Amino acid sequence: MAGKTIVVTSGKGGVGKTTTVANIGTTLAKKKYSVVLIDADIGLRNLDVVMGLENRIVYNLVDIIEGKCRMQQAMIRDRKLANLYIIPAAQTREKNAVQPEQMKTLCAELMEEFDFVLIDCPAGIEQGFKNAVAGAQTALVVTTPEVSAIRDADRVIGLLEAAMLHDIHLIINRLNQKMVKKGDMMSTQDIVGLLAVPLLGVVPESEDVVVSTNRGIPLVHDRGSRAGVAFQRIAARLNGENVPLDDNGAEGFFGRMKRFIWS
Amino acid sequence: MVSNDSLPIQVKAGRDGFTLVPHPSASFDSIMDYMRRRLSESRDFFHRSNMILDLRTRHLGSDEIQALNNLLVELSEAGLIEVKISDDLSMSVHGSQHKRAGSPSSSIPSPVEACPVIVRSTCRSGARVVSTSDCVILGDVNPGAEVIAAGDIIVFGSLRGVAHAGATGNRSARIWALSIEPNQLRIADLVAVPPRGSKPTPKRYEIAEITEDAIGVTTV
Repeated sequence: MAGKTIVVTSGKGGVGKTTTVANIGTTLAKKKYSVVLIDADIGLRNLDVVMGLENRIVYNLVDIIEGKCRMQQAMIRDRKLANLYIIPAAQTREKNAVQPEQMKTLCAELMEEFDFVLIDCPAGIEQGFKNAVAGAQTALVVTTPEVSAIRDADRVIGLLEAAMLHDIHLIINRLNQKMVKKGDMMSTQDIVGLLAVPLLGVVPESEDVVVSTNRGIPLVHDRGSRAGVAFQRIAARLNGENVPLDDNGAEGFFGRMKRFIWS
Repeated sequence: MVSNDSLPIQVKAGRDGFTLVPHPSASFDSIMDYMRRRLSESRDFFHRSNMILDLRTRHLGSDEIQALNNLLVELSEAGLIEVKISDDLSMSVHGSQHKRAGSPSSSIPSPVEACPVIVRSTCRSGARVVSTSDCVILGDVNPGAEVIAAGDIIVFGSLRGVAHAGATGNRSARIWALSIEPNQLRIADLVAVPPRGSKPTPKRYEIAEITEDAIGVTTV
């Protein structure tokens, strides 16, 4: 069965690409899909740290591409889920060690075996971005409600469209509902209005994210986390399940009342 | 004989001129080398013909498009008249044929002669649209995008980026948009920065024009 290759990108750094990849990947794997996560940030790898697998790395992405190992040798299995693998980035190499054509071939091979191939794109729009995007059919653009992050997301969407990738979805990360109500933060509607791509979900700002990253356990394993629940819902929507877009009470009590009355 | 599929760039003859289709995986250098050879082999054949660059399968940067255009002009006085970026977006590069047929020496055609540039999509950050006459954008102009026109600029959407109307010095040029909330407005040689703070949303549209040596925005 042919799978789906999804690239998670943002332009700006530090908005939560790696966290998104780790959590969506883990959720899909929990739903019994076979999933492989690729860290395409060559030279600055950190997906393995977020997944808590850094001490198991022997081979990496560049080794596969250069033919130094078989693909299965570089794939590290998750500690909890048997159908979740990651391919780590090379820490000691440069971004031009990989070419877009090679990424395309690799993704095509992986899609034969896996249901989902998730690529963690590096920040920026240079060679690393081009590599990460080359093999993907779907792009998830992550942004935070900051003007700088939104500007970069806009640029990235433009570049994705130029690269003939038209299935683009938006994830808004670290939204602080209190600040939006006070008018100190851009609201979901403002951001979606500006970027004009379909919204896949909103993740509330949460301290749990830092804790989970430091412990190397994706948030979605923690049942009590609101951010974790938001990521689960995003993964479900990505999988084509019908989950309404009212994450973290973004509509408030009256919004829910209205929905209740209308339904 | 090489098969057509493996050429770095295909030259197809059409009703309005020639369409250039670069191969998706060809390097820019190989495209340039091939075009240089092809043009010098049959200089008269391509003389003063119109070229359409089809970038639907391969993306070229604006400087690469410029370099290719310079090569066409230099070798056979041909020029790009249109760049197809996607099915619903095309850009005319030099306004029109009038310019080259009439006065090849003048670099700026009069706005009346040239065709307006029409962009049928949102201009995102990093996009740069240049027109030698008027410019019509059917979509928003987002922050970080630039629209530069020798004539008027009309935006059927929100203008949030930078717009420069009358770029060649035409002080009577105007900017129309459904909503004007830009980073910066320029008309001819004047630059304006919008006042800080929120403004009322326009009911229909807004016009920016020069009144008494300053750029003013009127809400309609």
